[in-house]
Amino acid sequence: MTATLTRVNRVPGLLPGLTFLIILVLWESSTRFFTIPTFLLPAPSRIVEGFDAVTISRWLAHAWATLRVALLGFLTAIVVSLPLAILLTRFKLVSSGIYPLLVVIQSTPIVAVAPIIIVTMGSGDMSRVLITFMISFFPLVVSMTTGMKATPEELIELSHSLKAPAIREFTQIRIPYAIPYIFSGLKISVTLSVIGAVVAEFVAAEKGIGYFIQFSTSLFKIPQAWAGLAILVVMSLTLFQIIAQTQRYCFPWSLPRESK
Amino acid sequence: MDWLPGGDKAAIFVCLERGFCEEAGLEVRLESGRGSSESLTKLATGSSDIGNADIGALMAARVTEDLQVTAVMSYYSEGPHAFFTLKGNGIESFADVKGKNLVTSPFTSSNVYLPLVLNDNGLSMDDVTLTKSDPGALNPMLVTGQTDAVISWITDVTRYTQQAKDAGREMIILPWAEAGLVMYSGSIVASNKFLEERPDVARRFIAALLKSVEYMRENPEDAAKAVTDAVPEMDHATAMGSLNDALGLIFNEVTERDGLGALEPGRLQATWERVAAAQGLEQDALDPEDVVDRSFMPENGS
Repeated sequence: MTATLTRVNRVPGLLPGLTFLIILVLWESSTRFFTIPTFLLPAPSRIVEGFDAVTISRWLAHAWATLRVALLGFLTAIVVSLPLAILLTRFKLVSSGIYPLLVVIQSTPIVAVAPIIIVTMGSGDMSRVLITFMISFFPLVVSMTTGMKATPEELIELSHSLKAPAIREFTQIRIPYAIPYIFSGLKISVTLSVIGAVVAEFVAAEKGIGYFIQFSTSLFKIPQAWAGLAILVVMSLTLFQIIAQTQRYCFPWSLPRESK
Repeated sequence: MDWLPGGDKAAIFVCLERGFCEEAGLEVRLESGRGSSESLTKLATGSSDIGNADIGALMAARVTEDLQVTAVMSYYSEGPHAFFTLKGNGIESFADVKGKNLVTSPFTSSNVYLPLVLNDNGLSMDDVTLTKSDPGALNPMLVTGQTDAVISWITDVTRYTQQAKDAGREMIILPWAEAGLVMYSGSIVASNKFLEERPDVARRFIAALLKSVEYMRENPEDAAKAVTDAVPEMDHATAMGSLNDALGLIFNEVTERDGLGALEPGRLQATWERVAAAQGLEQDALDPEDVVDRSFMPENGS
C-alpha cells in the first residue's frame, strides 16, 4: 500500500488530480442524494451546463476583460513596488514616513473605497486597474523590502569597502538576495490581482467574469455564476503557475532544495 | 441605467437595437449601474448625460446636496416596492407582517419607504425584524425558510414566482402601491449641464425613448429579443418575465389618466411628501416642481 502511494506520488499532478476527482464525485452524489436545490449548491454537472449559457467568444471576451485588468494592475504593482521597496530599504526616513501610510492603505477595505474611486475616476479601465493595484501591491512591497533588508550585513559592508555605488549594491547584492522573497510576494500578489479585478467589476463594469457572476446571480442563474467562478479559479491558478515556473526556470537557485 | 441589464430596461435596448436612437440621430453609449444614488452621482459629476433613477432619491439629493440633476420624464408611475412571501408563512395581508422576519437588500430605495408603508398600516419598524442581505440571496432565503418575507421589486415577480414554484411553493406578493404608497418612482433624469448645453439632443432622446416604450408594449416578444441581442448572457424567458412585470409599472391607471411619461403636479407633490417624511426632511425644504422639467416631452416642445 505504502509502495503504491509512493508510486502515485511520483507521477506529477496525479495525486492532486485524484483528490479533485474524488471531491467532484462526492459533491455530485451528495447534491443528488440530498436533493440540494441548485440555487443553494449546484451539482458539478449543472455547473458544466452553465458553460452553455453564452458562446465561447462571449466567455473569452469576459475572461479577457478580467485578465487585462488583473495583469495591468499586477504590472503596475510591480513597477511601483520595486522602486518603493528600494527607497524603504535605503532610507530610514522614507521607511518610517511611508511605511505606516502603506499599512493604512492596506488596512482600508478596498470594497468600501472602490465606489469612491469609480465616481472620482469614472467607470473605465483606469479605475479598475487602480483598485486592482491597491489590493495587490502591499504584499509585493513588504516581501521585496524584507528580502532586501535580509541581505547579510557582511556582503553590504564588503560592497561599501569596495566603494560600490548604491545602484550596484541593489542590482548585484540586495535584489538577487531578495529573489526568493520577491517571488513569494509575486505569487500572493498575482492571485490578489484577480480578486482586485473582480471587486472592481462588482462595482462598475460592462464586461468581465466578475460582472458576469454578479449579473448571473441577480438573475438566479446560479450554475452559470459557478461556471464563471470556475474560470476565475483556472485564471488564478494559471497566473500563479506562470510565476512559479518563471522562478523555477530563471532562478532555480532561489528555490528551496526539495522544490527544485 | 440604475441597475444591471434586464427585461425591465427593454425600452433602451429597443431604442439601441431596433434603430430608434439611430433614427433620431443619437449616438448612445449605455452603462449599467448599481443603484439610484450611483446613477445620480454619475449624472451630477458629468460622466453621464442622461439615465434613470428613483425620483425620490433625486428629491432627497437636491435638498441635501443641491444635486444639479433634473427629472424629465416619468418611467414607473407607480412604486415598484413589494413584500414577497410564501403561502403558509402566515402573511396574507400587511397587518400579518407584525412580528415577522423580513430580509431586504442593503441599497434598495424600498428601505426608505418601509417605515412609511408600515405606518400606513398601523405598524412600526419595531414590529418587524429586518435584516439585510445580498440581492441575489433574498429569494433563496425565502424559499429555504430562513425568513418569513423579503422586500423586493415588482419587476422580480416572474423570477421569484418561478423559483418558488420550482421548490413546490406558492408565492404571495403584497405591492406597497396597493397599501397607500402613492408615488412616482423610476424616472428619466438628466444632468442640468447636459439639458442646458444640448437641449435638442435631450428632446430627441426622450422622443426616441417614448417610441421605444410604446414598441415594448406592442411588441413585447421582440423587445425582449432586443435585450437578449444586446445581452446574450440573458435568456429570452427571463427577459420576457421582467419585461412583463415592468409593463404594469409603466402602463397603469396613472398612465391612462395623465399620459405616458407625465409628471403630474399632484402626484409629484404626493411623492415629495412621502420622500420628505421618509427621509426626515422639512416639507417646505423643496418645491417638487424644481426637480422636474416637462419641456423635453414631445408634446410640450419649446
